[in-house]
Amino acid sequence: MKKAHIIGLGIIAVAIGIIISMASDYSSYETFSSAKQKTGKDFQIVGTLDKSYELEYDAAKDANYFSFYLKDKNGDECKVVFHGSKPQDFERSESIVLTGRMNGDFFDAKHILMKCPSKYKNDKLDVNGTQEVDATPEKS
Amino acid sequence: MIFENELRWPGIWGQLFVITVFVSSFLSVVSYFISTQSKDEIIQNSWKRIARMLFVVQAIAVAGIVVTLYYIIHEHRFEYHYAWEHSSMQLPMKYLLACFWEGQEGSFLLWMWWNMVLGSLLIFRAGKKWEAPVLCIFMVVQAFIASMLLGIYFWDYRVGSTPFSLLRDVMIGAPIFQRADYLSFIKDGNGLNPLLQNYWMVIHPPILFLGFASTLVPFAYAIAALWKKDFTGWIVSVLPWTLFSGAVLGTGIMMGGAWAYESLTFGGYWAWDPVENASLVPWLILVGGIHTMLAYKKSGHSLRSTFLFFLLSFILVLYSTFLTRSGILGNSSVHAFTDLGMSGHLVFYLLGLTIPAIILLAINWKKIPAPEKEEAMASREFWIFVGAGILFISAFQITLYTSIPVYAPLVKWISQSKINIAPPTEPIGTYNSYQLPVAVLVLLLSSFALYLKFRKSDMKQFYRRMIIISVITVIFTVLIAWQGALTYPTHVALLFAAVFSIIANLYYMFTVLKGKHRLYGPALAHLGFGIFLMGVLISSANKHTISLNYRGIDYGKRFNDLDLHTNQYMPKDSREQMGEYFATFIGDSTSEPNHYYKVLFERMDTSTNEVKEKFILYPNAQINPKMGLISSPDTRHYWDHDVYTHVTTVPEKSNDEETTDEQKFTEHKIAKGDTIFTSKSYVVLENVEKVEKSDKIKLVKGDLCVGAKLHVFPMTGKDYYAEPLYLIQGGQAMSINDKVNDLGLIFRLTKVIPDQNKVQIDIAEVKPEQEYIVMKALVFPFINLVWLGVVMTVAGFLVSLFRVFQKKKSVGSNN
Repeated sequence: MKKAHIIGLGIIAVAIGIIISMASDYSSYETFSSAKQKTGKDFQIVGTLDKSYELEYDAAKDANYFSFYLKDKNGDECKVVFHGSKPQDFERSESIVLTGRMNGDFFDAKHILMKCPSKYKNDKLDVNGTQEVDATPEKS
Repeated sequence: MIFENELRWPGIWGQLFVITVFVSSFLSVVSYFISTQSKDEIIQNSWKRIARMLFVVQAIAVAGIVVTLYYIIHEHRFEYHYAWEHSSMQLPMKYLLACFWEGQEGSFLLWMWWNMVLGSLLIFRAGKKWEAPVLCIFMVVQAFIASMLLGIYFWDYRVGSTPFSLLRDVMIGAPIFQRADYLSFIKDGNGLNPLLQNYWMVIHPPILFLGFASTLVPFAYAIAALWKKDFTGWIVSVLPWTLFSGAVLGTGIMMGGAWAYESLTFGGYWAWDPVENASLVPWLILVGGIHTMLAYKKSGHSLRSTFLFFLLSFILVLYSTFLTRSGILGNSSVHAFTDLGMSGHLVFYLLGLTIPAIILLAINWKKIPAPEKEEAMASREFWIFVGAGILFISAFQITLYTSIPVYAPLVKWISQSKINIAPPTEPIGTYNSYQLPVAVLVLLLSSFALYLKFRKSDMKQFYRRMIIISVITVIFTVLIAWQGALTYPTHVALLFAAVFSIIANLYYMFTVLKGKHRLYGPALAHLGFGIFLMGVLISSANKHTISLNYRGIDYGKRFNDLDLHTNQYMPKDSREQMGEYFATFIGDSTSEPNHYYKVLFERMDTSTNEVKEKFILYPNAQINPKMGLISSPDTRHYWDHDVYTHVTTVPEKSNDEETTDEQKFTEHKIAKGDTIFTSKSYVVLENVEKVEKSDKIKLVKGDLCVGAKLHVFPMTGKDYYAEPLYLIQGGQAMSINDKVNDLGLIFRLTKVIPDQNKVQIDIAEVKPEQEYIVMKALVFPFINLVWLGVVMTVAGFLVSLFRVFQKKKSVGSNN
């Protein structure tokens, strides 16, 4: 057997090793109900901001405490606590991806990823800067 | 309907140019193909001439597209969707280029442009033998890219997306387009994303895309070699191109990192974001290919893997295009992706080039020459091969993890919706845990391999030098680990490897090469890589937040983690301790469209309490009506560390003029010198006077304006002045309020009563508007090593490139 072959096999072995070890690395998208059953592990939850509740953030009291309610894909809502500052324009987000875990009756978010379509996609047309005309872009 | 003032000719010309590029590229492919396949030299040459002519047509059309699109943007022709979406009237001239490539169509155009430039150079440089097959591949790619810009419907399927579509064609159904004079209502465009309004956006994309485009050169040569069954002759021609590509793509990637660090708020230069990964992987593979190619050139080994690496490198560029442009990464990246509905097209493009390339390599694999004799363990080529294998593993891991959103649906389907996999929750830690051992091995290999000779080495001398270097390395490692408080075994291992690399490459330059500058290339690149990783290690392992906020409530053990208190609340004029500094938010200023927050940093002498150093940082925020607050950091650079700050929250401005209800005002009829008491202050009317000029309102001739000068004394703290106005303009009387935000007082001059010599002042008390910012401040120690390392690595590539040209020249003159 040639050395080059041994190295080649070695590379394949390591690659398989990486694939196997991936099982412990990837996380999963969950909902609040499924996350409640699997405590002690971080998950990702996709949902939308529930605007019927007030956002709680008072920088003077604690600049690192922000809480809100999220409605997940099943329509369940849950209180979310994020230990950081309130992202600007949070109210305008269309979809939110949370990373974190359940902690008793609230979801303890480590990371928030907001998707604000208005930021990047322009589906509104400003006419004379006053009235807005809704238009559905053709591309989709 | 005929629309007024629409300028149609640039769009028509632009579209015509796109179609010309597509058609001429396609015909050029055919001509070059016939020329390559033909055995008769006369036929070869005549088809080659035709192909070149078509190439020239293509090149002119590419330039035509660029000029027309630039014209549309420059002239603010908002009837075109591209100009409307990406530019606006106020946008400074220097950013017009940035709007040019902000959109997907523009970035494809940029790629097309570089393809054309590189292709033109290749026509001159590729030589008689290689021109036809290499340019044939180039034009295949060019035709593919042109098809992305076609935007033509074939039955119900739209192929590509054109930058020349009209706004009214994109926004079908908007009522405004029912009117012939719709253009007179569209005064301004959407504007360039404020995040992208900086010089990085002007220089980074062209360089990165030149890097991407240049990986096509080795790919095209490799295919040409397999096609012509000349497996060895291409190496000499392709060598300088690969070095160029390595330098440019590397620069492009790290410029992205520098951009992120300088003006985005990720809090670092690298976050293993899918977009970053997608550009890094082709570079890793390209570098692997450069090394195996050098091994082949000197020893005859590793030719097969050279083919594999160069083919893969461009395929991975295509794959990264697919990842970043199909919208598939949606939930896993901070970068914005717009889906232009081209996923199918992109997959076709990717597979259409990948499958033939892999088949061609597979059927020729056995025919590619490989020496009977194995490489010796004590030879440079052996360890280069091992190193390339490690780079391959590195690229494999990054690709596998970045691609999770690609195969997640498959996993979901197989598991019958039970498993819904998502990217790792801590991407940085996860990627680092795999890439750190890779970095250690690559550092060690790239250092000691230089001391081995090709084919066979003198091992005695090798061991002697290794012992010297290792001893020096151990001493420095211990010193740095101790000074830098690096205790994790993995950190120490990386530190050792980086120091080893730095010492070994320096030693090599000075004792082995003995000042032969022209040969410095490889050692310089490796030295740069060592310095780079040293910088990465120290700046990230010892990165610390100095804006620690403990005003918060204690939530128990888990929340006492330092990371959870990294945002500092900074009321105006209050000194907050930040590490060795005291920071004070002293005010803000606006310079459209940026809002700058002035933060004064003072460093005290701990014993005498004297201010030893002070500076002001201006972390800024753009408060954009369309996009909200977009914050950019400001950084104080020292030779050995950076202080990096950015604003995370600012108070939302309430428009109290409208919201204050009428009942809140209390009426006071007073004369000059009288005093009014409010709940927390008293107010003295100092004077009532005619006002000629005011910053609150523009006064014209004939206006009568009176102001009440009020002096406000709060219970504690400094006093304020306010001057509400009473104005008679064109027979209409009105009051113009004045406020003292800090005290939450609003003053209104409601009436002037001349016969009593009195005025009526109304006062409303609202919640004081606190001025504050919430900010983060981090210290990155020795981050300059990162940039220094990158510059040296790129310089190493360039020195090698220069050396190749010199050698070629001397060979040429000898003939």
